[in-house]
Amino acid sequence: MDVNQAKQEHLLALKVMRLTKPTLFTNLPVTCEDRDLPGDLFAQLMREDPSTIKGAETLMLGEMLTLPQNFGNIFLGETFSSYISVHNDSNQVVKDILVKADLQTSSQRLNLSASNSAVAELKPECCIDDVIHHEVKEIGTHILVCAVSYTSQFGEKLYFRKFFKFQVLKPLDVKTKFYNAESDLSSVTDEVFLEAQIQNITTSPMFMEKVSLEPSMMYNVTELNSVASGDEGESTFGKMSYLQPMDTRQYLYCLKPKPEYAEKAGVIKGVTVIGKLDIVWKTNLGERGRLQTSQLQRMAPGYGDIRLSLEVIPDTVNLEEPFDIVCKITNCSERTMDLVMEMCNMRSIHWCGVSGRQLGKLTPGASLSLLLTVFSSEQGLQVRCKLPEATF
Amino acid sequence: MDKVEAHAQRPVSLGITVDDEAAVSEPAAEATSQIPSEDSILPQEDSIDLGGTDFVTPQGDSSATPTESLMDRLNDQMMESVMISDSPNNSEEDDLAPIDSYLDGGEPENATPGNIEEDSEIGQNMTEIEVSVGQLEQECSEEETKEGEAAQQRVPASVSPQGDTLSPAANSDDVPVRGISPKDEPVPVCTIFSQSTLPKSLVPDGFQPTLIKSPSFTMGSAGGSDEAVTPSKLTAPLVCQPSPSLSKFFADNGQANPASDFFDSFTVPSSFISVSNPNADLSPGAGPPPMPLTPERQLSSASSISTPGALLDSASPTPSPVFGPAPTEPNSNSQPLPPQNLPAPSPAPAPISATQAQPFNQLQAVFSGSDDPFAIALSLSEVDRRHDAWLPCEETRKVLISVATQQYSTAYVESNKLTMPGLKFDNLQGDAVKDLMLRFLGEQAAMRRQVLTANSVEQSFIGLKQLISTKNWRAAVDLTGRLLTAHGQGYGKAGQPTSHTTDSLQLWFVRLSLLTKLNLFQNAELEIEPFGNLDQPDLYYEYYPAVYPGRRGSMVPFSMRLLHAELPQYLSKPQEALDRLHNLKTVCLAILENLEKGLAEDGSMITLAQENRQASLKLWRSRLSRVMYSMANCLLLMKDYVLAVETYHSIIQYEPQQRVQLLSGIGRIFLQIGDVKTAERYFQDVEKAYEMKGSNLSHATCILMNRAFVYLSQNNYADAHATFLEVLKIDPKNPVANNNAAVCLLYLGRLKESLGQLEGLVQQDPTQYLHESVLFNLTTMYELESSRSTQKKQALLDAVACREGDSFNAQCLKLV
Repeated sequence: MDVNQAKQEHLLALKVMRLTKPTLFTNLPVTCEDRDLPGDLFAQLMREDPSTIKGAETLMLGEMLTLPQNFGNIFLGETFSSYISVHNDSNQVVKDILVKADLQTSSQRLNLSASNSAVAELKPECCIDDVIHHEVKEIGTHILVCAVSYTSQFGEKLYFRKFFKFQVLKPLDVKTKFYNAESDLSSVTDEVFLEAQIQNITTSPMFMEKVSLEPSMMYNVTELNSVASGDEGESTFGKMSYLQPMDTRQYLYCLKPKPEYAEKAGVIKGVTVIGKLDIVWKTNLGERGRLQTSQLQRMAPGYGDIRLSLEVIPDTVNLEEPFDIVCKITNCSERTMDLVMEMCNMRSIHWCGVSGRQLGKLTPGASLSLLLTVFSSEQGLQVRCKLPEATF
Repeated sequence: MDKVEAHAQRPVSLGITVDDEAAVSEPAAEATSQIPSEDSILPQEDSIDLGGTDFVTPQGDSSATPTESLMDRLNDQMMESVMISDSPNNSEEDDLAPIDSYLDGGEPENATPGNIEEDSEIGQNMTEIEVSVGQLEQECSEEETKEGEAAQQRVPASVSPQGDTLSPAANSDDVPVRGISPKDEPVPVCTIFSQSTLPKSLVPDGFQPTLIKSPSFTMGSAGGSDEAVTPSKLTAPLVCQPSPSLSKFFADNGQANPASDFFDSFTVPSSFISVSNPNADLSPGAGPPPMPLTPERQLSSASSISTPGALLDSASPTPSPVFGPAPTEPNSNSQPLPPQNLPAPSPAPAPISATQAQPFNQLQAVFSGSDDPFAIALSLSEVDRRHDAWLPCEETRKVLISVATQQYSTAYVESNKLTMPGLKFDNLQGDAVKDLMLRFLGEQAAMRRQVLTANSVEQSFIGLKQLISTKNWRAAVDLTGRLLTAHGQGYGKAGQPTSHTTDSLQLWFVRLSLLTKLNLFQNAELEIEPFGNLDQPDLYYEYYPAVYPGRRGSMVPFSMRLLHAELPQYLSKPQEALDRLHNLKTVCLAILENLEKGLAEDGSMITLAQENRQASLKLWRSRLSRVMYSMANCLLLMKDYVLAVETYHSIIQYEPQQRVQLLSGIGRIFLQIGDVKTAERYFQDVEKAYEMKGSNLSHATCILMNRAFVYLSQNNYADAHATFLEVLKIDPKNPVANNNAAVCLLYLGRLKESLGQLEGLVQQDPTQYLHESVLFNLTTMYELESSRSTQKKQALLDAVACREGDSFNAQCLKLV
């Protein structure tokens, strides 16, 4: 410090101010009635106050814009805007001024200055202004480095820099869950439901402008976040689509494999890329932020070596009257299988037919349909049905 | 801390992190997914890092305690200010080379040894920044100490000498006013206080000054005045009855009333002229004509000072023994014909108009000359009933009924059901502007600052109004303190039995609302606390049948109830505020329902004249809408936007003429949340409403403003600026548009222009533009513009000093 103070004063002064959105001035209405002691004094004072809404003075939220009062918080995905002003504090003309603004993050250094050309001269009491914008893409410490070089009246080359450090915080917490819709009876199976929980971990309310799932090439997506009513679907979140601090909201998406991939449905295995979430939010006076998640991946439900699905089954049957069901057996393994079917009766469901039947060889990926006959010995809804055991 | 960060700042690309994290957090999921059946039952749950970098670090995602780490970070954040104030020594040419190399963290040679260097580099940055932070802290601490001082001044249990002097013990022997503050001593204040010496000579009979004080007040000063009176007071509990303050005087056209009409209740004319304000009571045409001070006259003036005995005497034709009859006196008055039964008697209007036109003493004549029913009729004007109506809670109602039916005297009401307010702090409020001037511009400049103080105005309602209208609210608070002290509800009197009058409650209302306006919410809360929920029996006129014969309803003005309800929201207790507001709303609705059913406000079976009913409906609807406004404002403070919008919207039905303003306001709420589309929808509604109504200047500006705000929210500052300029074409003096246009210029990178515009405005039209928000913007730009902002701010201070009262919020100058 002491050493620094010995140094000469610079002719130019550099000032930096973060430009978050301005805020609307709120006033504090205190009113009385004409009969009260102050008479119409309070009302008159409020009418004369320029920040009140004329004709509705008791409305708290005014129209007067005020500049940001502090640095505030900055979140990943938002745009960092800053005013950089270089002012000539001296009484001499300064020449060849070059102002450079860089942003140093943990991984890189970016140049944010609009122009990199020097200003020929700057008269006393004049300033060079620059407004920089940068969409923040990293969490953690950022340092805005502003460097000013100039030449004094006497040809002396001078240079100084200033650092402005700020932290970029994480605005959202996103959690996902996959639900596999284990096959309805149609052949178009393998629907996947994605539930995304998005939590606002900032300190201000957040309007979610867009939360969409961009599916990978294998899938088509249907958003399930609105209730169809009339022309426009109404959001399941009600009329006001904003998230209070620490609130969480669930979004639901249904993914269907595209037909060309659906054919091979049975064999989609292992980790598949589902897509990514694209989130756009806005806060005070349209301050905008945008984030994309990384590719969401899902472990496709493992079917083991063999997958059995029911293709046809009646929804009601008569007691003790045989009925037919159609099963489909798919070989999900890498090997060819030789299948044998054993039938085991259960308490309420009985098989008709021969047990221990050979089903023949099934090559990898191939499937076969089986027509089986069963009857029920008990009435009511049969919840569980143990299917034939196949051995290989 | 920085080391940790440096460690964390490992460059990681988005894709990788997710792989990492999948690997880290998913083994379990993978395990389960082997089992086909379970997989569908137990969906795996991932937490996804949004392209973040520090997933691998211990501090990184700790999803268990997201809030904690967030809080840490936030606190970090708080340290930073908009402007990192620069001192010239912040630049070091010497170390620029090393810094450069360090900061280019990506370079390979930094890989291992650079870590340490990097730390040191960051350390350097830190110190650099810490310089400013340090300064800030220093400033902060300075501010804190200053605040501390201020707080000390405000805190009721103040250690300041004044506090002691005003404590009840201190004024034991004499006039409490002396104690108000030592330095005030030469300046005579409320004239009634000097009575202890005066009346003795003036009043021939037993009417001693002690009479004039309500018990709580005299308790301290009894010893000094007249021994003979005190015992009698003990025998007469009615002593604590208030005076029939002439509340009609500040009824509809309070402005027009001559001064003395108001003041009689607190300051006594002619005989007790304050020395410093010789003409205080000689306000033009107001002062009563000088009269020989007959005992009768003396009485009348005394009566106004809340002495029941005196009052009763003045009301009754025979000014006979004061103390004996006191208990019986109410009887004569307390056969109140239900006021409404009286067909508004024709003579009634005459006295009222007389009261407005004539000085007090003549009115007194009217009073004393009238029969009881007449007096009743007089005090029961329609207006009173309409405004004072209130629905007390069941318990209170029972007490009031029993008082009315004389089941028991008010003296037997349990003391915990009584309202016993008192000042909680008595120190002077001071003048922040002057303090700043002393500090920055020197004593001489500070001398130029001339504002009204509590001493420089009449010690009366007039003076009070004068202080309020000149924006010297701090002085006005001081003055209310004095007037309340005169009423026996001064410092330290809380919890002691006292009496209430229309005037005393109005004074409390003014005091509390000024404290609220000054953002001294804690003080207001402390002082309103003894009032409970404003529903105790002694806050109703029925409780004082002798003093307010036949008058019914709430002594507490509606505005005070509203203030009481709103107050908690400023003290981070919005839920409580909402509860209270809902109570108010319920009563308003009940009263409106009564009126619609053809009953009186309080539900009694009285036939109201049509125009009275209409007037009453109008009044109570407007009160209801005021309550709704407060609710909406409170909800807005709570950030419960859904309900706030709903409530604002519902106000439109009560205040259709405010449709445009309300819809625009709702639109701005949506902009604040960030929902620009919905905001635009509301703004379109505004435009439709405008088209239907036809042109109207204020509506046209409103529409343009809305458009400008939408542009602003789309980051389109150029169009926003142009639109604000359009407003100025229609309405060149519009302060909001002027200010907002200047703000837009700054965002466009045109600081000098913006500054020039604001400065010009402040110079040309200081009355409009010496406003907190404008000055705040201006000082912020000064700080951004040059290192010499302090001088410019001081120039502003000078401008403020000439024009603004002591209620000016000096913080917006950002000098401290």
